[in-house]
Amino acid sequence: MLRIALKGILGRKARLVLTSLAVILGTAFLSGTAVFSATLNRTFDNLFSDVFRNVDAYVRSTQVIEADFGAEERQRLPQEIIAIVEQVPGVADVQGDIQAFARIVGKNGEPLGAEGAGPPTFGSVGEEFKGALWTISEGKFPSNSTEVALDEASAKTGNYAIGDRVKIVAQAGSRVFTLVGIASYGDVRSPGGATFALFDLATAQEFLAKPGFIDNILVSGDGTLSDEELTEAIARAIPSSYKAETLTGAQITKETQDQIGSALSFFNILLSTFSYIALGVGSFVIYNVFSISAAQRQRENALLRAIGASKKQVTRAMLIESVVVGLFGSVIGLFAGIGLSKALSALLKAAGIDLPTGGLVVPSSAIANTIVVGLIVTVSSAWLPARRAGKVPPLAAMRETAIEVVALTRRRTIFGFVLIALGAVAIVAVTNGASNTWLGLGILLVFSGTITLGPVIARPVALLLGKPAERLRGVTGTMARQNSARNPKRTARTASPVLIGVALVTAVAALAASIRTQIDGVFTEQFKGDYAISTTARGFGGLSPSLADDINLLPEVERATGIGLLTVKIEDRGQYLTTINPATAEGVFDLGLTSGTYSDLTADTIFVSQQYVENNDSKLGDTISITLADAQVKTLSIAGIYEFDEIAGKYTVSRDLIKDSTVINFDLGVYIKMKSGVPEESARAILQSAVDKYGQGTLLSKREYIDSQSGQINQLLGLIYGLLFLSVIIAVVGIIITLLLSVFERQREIGLLRAVGMTKSQVRTTVRWESVITSLLGAVVGIVLGVGLGWVIVYALRDQGLSSFSVPISSTVSILIMAFVIGVLAAVYPAWRATRVNLLTAITTS
Amino acid sequence: MNNPSAATATNVSKIYGHGDSEVRALDNVSVQFETGKFTAIMGPSGSGKSTLMHCMAGLDEMTEGSVTIADIDIASLKDKELTRLRRDKIGFVFQSFNLVPTLTADENIRLPLLLGNNKGNEEWIQKVINTVHLQDRLTHRPSELSGGQQQRVAVARALASEPAIIFADEPTGNLDSTTGTEILSFMRKAVNDLGQTIVMVTHDPVSASYADRIVFLKDGKIAGELLEPTPELVLDYMKKLGH
Repeated sequence: MLRIALKGILGRKARLVLTSLAVILGTAFLSGTAVFSATLNRTFDNLFSDVFRNVDAYVRSTQVIEADFGAEERQRLPQEIIAIVEQVPGVADVQGDIQAFARIVGKNGEPLGAEGAGPPTFGSVGEEFKGALWTISEGKFPSNSTEVALDEASAKTGNYAIGDRVKIVAQAGSRVFTLVGIASYGDVRSPGGATFALFDLATAQEFLAKPGFIDNILVSGDGTLSDEELTEAIARAIPSSYKAETLTGAQITKETQDQIGSALSFFNILLSTFSYIALGVGSFVIYNVFSISAAQRQRENALLRAIGASKKQVTRAMLIESVVVGLFGSVIGLFAGIGLSKALSALLKAAGIDLPTGGLVVPSSAIANTIVVGLIVTVSSAWLPARRAGKVPPLAAMRETAIEVVALTRRRTIFGFVLIALGAVAIVAVTNGASNTWLGLGILLVFSGTITLGPVIARPVALLLGKPAERLRGVTGTMARQNSARNPKRTARTASPVLIGVALVTAVAALAASIRTQIDGVFTEQFKGDYAISTTARGFGGLSPSLADDINLLPEVERATGIGLLTVKIEDRGQYLTTINPATAEGVFDLGLTSGTYSDLTADTIFVSQQYVENNDSKLGDTISITLADAQVKTLSIAGIYEFDEIAGKYTVSRDLIKDSTVINFDLGVYIKMKSGVPEESARAILQSAVDKYGQGTLLSKREYIDSQSGQINQLLGLIYGLLFLSVIIAVVGIIITLLLSVFERQREIGLLRAVGMTKSQVRTTVRWESVITSLLGAVVGIVLGVGLGWVIVYALRDQGLSSFSVPISSTVSILIMAFVIGVLAAVYPAWRATRVNLLTAITTS
Repeated sequence: MNNPSAATATNVSKIYGHGDSEVRALDNVSVQFETGKFTAIMGPSGSGKSTLMHCMAGLDEMTEGSVTIADIDIASLKDKELTRLRRDKIGFVFQSFNLVPTLTADENIRLPLLLGNNKGNEEWIQKVINTVHLQDRLTHRPSELSGGQQQRVAVARALASEPAIIFADEPTGNLDSTTGTEILSFMRKAVNDLGQTIVMVTHDPVSASYADRIVFLKDGKIAGELLEPTPELVLDYMKKLGH
C-alpha cells in the first residue's frame, strides 16, 4: 500500500505542488516570524553585551515609579556620589551618565527620526572614559558647552560633517552647537535606529536634565578586583541615604537585554498570533484540496477496494500522501519563511518601525516547530477526507462520474445553529453583566457555528450574489452562478479563508472607527481653541513648556495653554497626572469643571474627575498624597471636580507643582485661541515662526488637530492589515487551487461547451465569475461576522471609555471591492487552464 | 437548392506521428454531404469515421486537404471564428455527456443561441421542442431527466439554431433500443419535416438504415456508398466489405 501511495503521489506532481502550496504558505509565515523574532532578539542582545563590555559596575537610584505598560521612571542621583565612587579602591575610572530627550535638527531644518513612531531620540553624555559606551570614530568628544558629538547614522542622515553648526532641541529649549565628533555605539552606527546627541557632562546636565544630577554612574575597575567584589565595595561605600544600588556589568547587561526582550515579546506574540491565524486559514485550504482530490480519485479508490484493498488501507494510503505533502511543504515553507523574515523587516520599515538588522538567526526550535506544526496541520486536515475515501463503495468503480457527494445533513444545520445560539447566549450574558471572559467563548462559538453552517448558507447566498452576474453576462453568468452553488461544501470551504480574513479585518476596522469617532467627539468637546501644536512623542520628550509661554506673549494670541503628563506615585502605584497651566487653560482646554474654578488650582491643590469622586467617595478639601519622581512627597487638597476625563484622566495638577523639583516635564500639546479678527493666513505664519524656533511639534488647525488625534490609530491599523494580508494571500491561493481542481473535474463539460460554440473568452468569463461569487460569498458573510465581532469587542472595552460603536462603512465598501478584485485575480490562471481543455478528449467516450 | 452540398471534404488527410510510427487516420478522403439529407458514416473501429466527423465539424485539425461548411473554408479560420462557426452553423449530438448539468433543459436547448447572445427564431424553437416532445420537461435539469429525454434535449439543441448541418456521433450508443429508435425517428423527422441536414456516425446497421445514404469508411479511406438503405442491405454490404 505504501508503494501505491507513493506512486500515486509521484504520478500527480501537479496536485502535489498544489496541495503543498497551502502548507508552504502557512508554514512559511510561522518560520518567518520565528526567524525574524530570533534575529531581532539576538541583534539587541549582541548590541548591549558589546556596549557594556568595559563597564564593570553600574550605580543607579533605587527609587523608581512603575506605571502602566511597563513604563518606569527612575529617580536621578546627586552628582556628589561620583566623588564617593571614585574613592573606592579598585575603581579605575568613573563616568556620570545621562539619557534624556534631545532631538537633532537636520541641515534641511527637518528634525531627525520619526516623531512619536519609531526609535527614540536621545541626548546623552559623551566623554573620554575607559568603560565608555561610545567610541569616537571621527573628531573628538565634546569638551565644553558649545560642542556636540553625534552618532554616525544621525550625522549621515542629517548631512553633517565635523565643524558644522547643529541645532538641537531638548528640555531647555533649542540651541545651536558645533559638531566636534562622530561616535559609534559599540560596533553599530546607531543603536536600534535611535538618534544620539552627546555632550560633556555639565552641558548634558544643564541642557537635557537638571544641574547637579545624573541618571546613573558607569564604573570601570582597575582589574585588581572581580566585578562582584568591586560592585560590593562600591555598594558599601555609598551611604544608604542616597538610596542607590550597585549592579555588576553583567547584571546591567542582562537587565537591559531582558527589558528589550520583554518589549519585543509583545511584538513577537503579535506576529506569532497572526502566523497561527494564517496557518489556521491555510488548514482550510489543505482540507479542501484533500477533499476534492479524494472525490476525484473516487473511482481509483473504489477500484482498489474492488480488487481487495481494505478500507483501512485506502485511508492509510491517503494519510501517507498527506505526510509526504506535509513534510515537503513544511521544509519548503521553512526556507520560504527565512526569505519572508526579510520581507517582514521591510514591511515594518514601511509602517514606520525601523529595526536594526543583523545576521540571520535560525533557531533550531523554529525549524522543529515549523516542520512539526506543518506536519500536524496537514495530516489532521487530511484525516476526514482520508476516512471518507476509505468508505467509498467498491461499486463506485463502475460509475461514470466521480463528483464529490453533496449531502447536506440536517444534523449539520442543527449543530451549526446550536453553536451560534450558544455563542449568542454567552454574548448576551456578558451584556447582562457576566464577565468579559465569556465573550471570547461566545465569539469562538459563533465563528465555529458559521463555518459549520457554511455549506448550508453557501448555496442560497451564492445564488443571490450570482444574480448580477447572470443579468450582466447572460448564459455564461448563469453557468458561473450555478457552478458556484453546485457544490456548496466545496464553495463554503473555499470561501472560509476569505471569511475569516475579512471578519478579522472588519472587526479591527470597526474597532478603529469606533475609537476614532470617540476621539473626535472628545476633542471637539474639550478643545476650544483655533490652533494646536501637537507632538506625537509619547512618554518620552515633547514640547518645551516655554513654547506655550512664548506664544502667549504674541499680540495676536488671545490665549495659549500647554498640556502635559507627569508620572508620580500615589499609594505606591505609578499614576499619570495631567499638568495644565491654570492661568491660561480656561476657554481653551475645557475640563468641564463641576466645582471649583481654574484659579483654584495651585501648587498645593489638585483637580479630580467626577468618576474618581464617585469611586473613592471623596469630596472637595480631601487630600491626596503624591510622590514625585525625585522622591519629594506632596500633599494636595482637592480643589475642583471635572466631568471630562477622557483626555485629563483621573487627576489634573498645575505645572507649578514641579517647579522646585528635579522632575522634568514636557507639554504634549499646546492649545491656542487667536484674537478675533486675525486672518487665518497671518495667524498661521505667526504661530509657525514661534514653533520653528523650537524645531519641535506641528502646527495644526482645530480640524487638522482633531483629525490627527483620531488618525493615530491608523498606524496600528496599517500593521494589523499588513499581517492579515498574509491570510488573504492564503485565501487567494485557496481559491486558485479549488478552481483549478474544479476546472480539471469539469473538463468534459468545458469541452462540450467549447464544441457547441462557447468562445475561449466566454470560458474565462465563466470561471472568473464563479471565482468572484465565491470570494464575495466569503467577504459578505465575513463582514456580517466581523461587524458583530467588532461590536462585541467595543462592548468589552466599554470600561476603557469606548462608548459608541461605529460601523466602518468605507472599510466595508473597500473590502467588498477588494474581494471582487481578489476573485478576478484568483481566476486568471484557472481560467487560462480552462481554455486549454482539449475538445476531443472531452467529448469522445472511452 | 443552389448548393446541394452542406459540407464538403476535399482530399482530407489526418496523420498522427512521424516516419515509421506514422499513422494515417484519414487518407486523402473526399466526400460531400447534401443539404436536406440524412447521411450516415459507417465503418469498423479505427476506420477513421469519428476522425472524419471531428475534422469536418472543426473540432479537430486536419493535416492536409480542405473542408467547407456552408461555403466557408474552415482551414483558414482562427479559433474564435471556428468557435462561432460551430455555434451558428453546426449542431452537435454526442453519444454521452451532451448537456450542461447546471442548466435547465430549456437553457440547454437554447445554449448555442444564448452563447451568441442571439434570441433565435422563437417559432422555430417551439416547433423543435414540440417535435421532440419536451414541452413539460423544460425547467428540469439534466440529472432529473432520463437518458432518452437527455438525448432528445441534445437533438433539440442541435436543431435550435437552424444550423447548416448537424453532426451526430453515435447518438443512440448509450440508449436502449426503444429509446434509440425514438431518437432516430426524431432525427428522421427533422430532415423530412424541418428540412435539416444531418450527418451521423454509427456502427449499428439498424441506426444507419434511417439515413438516406451511407458512406462506408475503412482504414481511413472511403470504401463505398449505399443509397436508400435497409438494415439487411447494410449488413450485406458490410459483409461484402469484409467485416
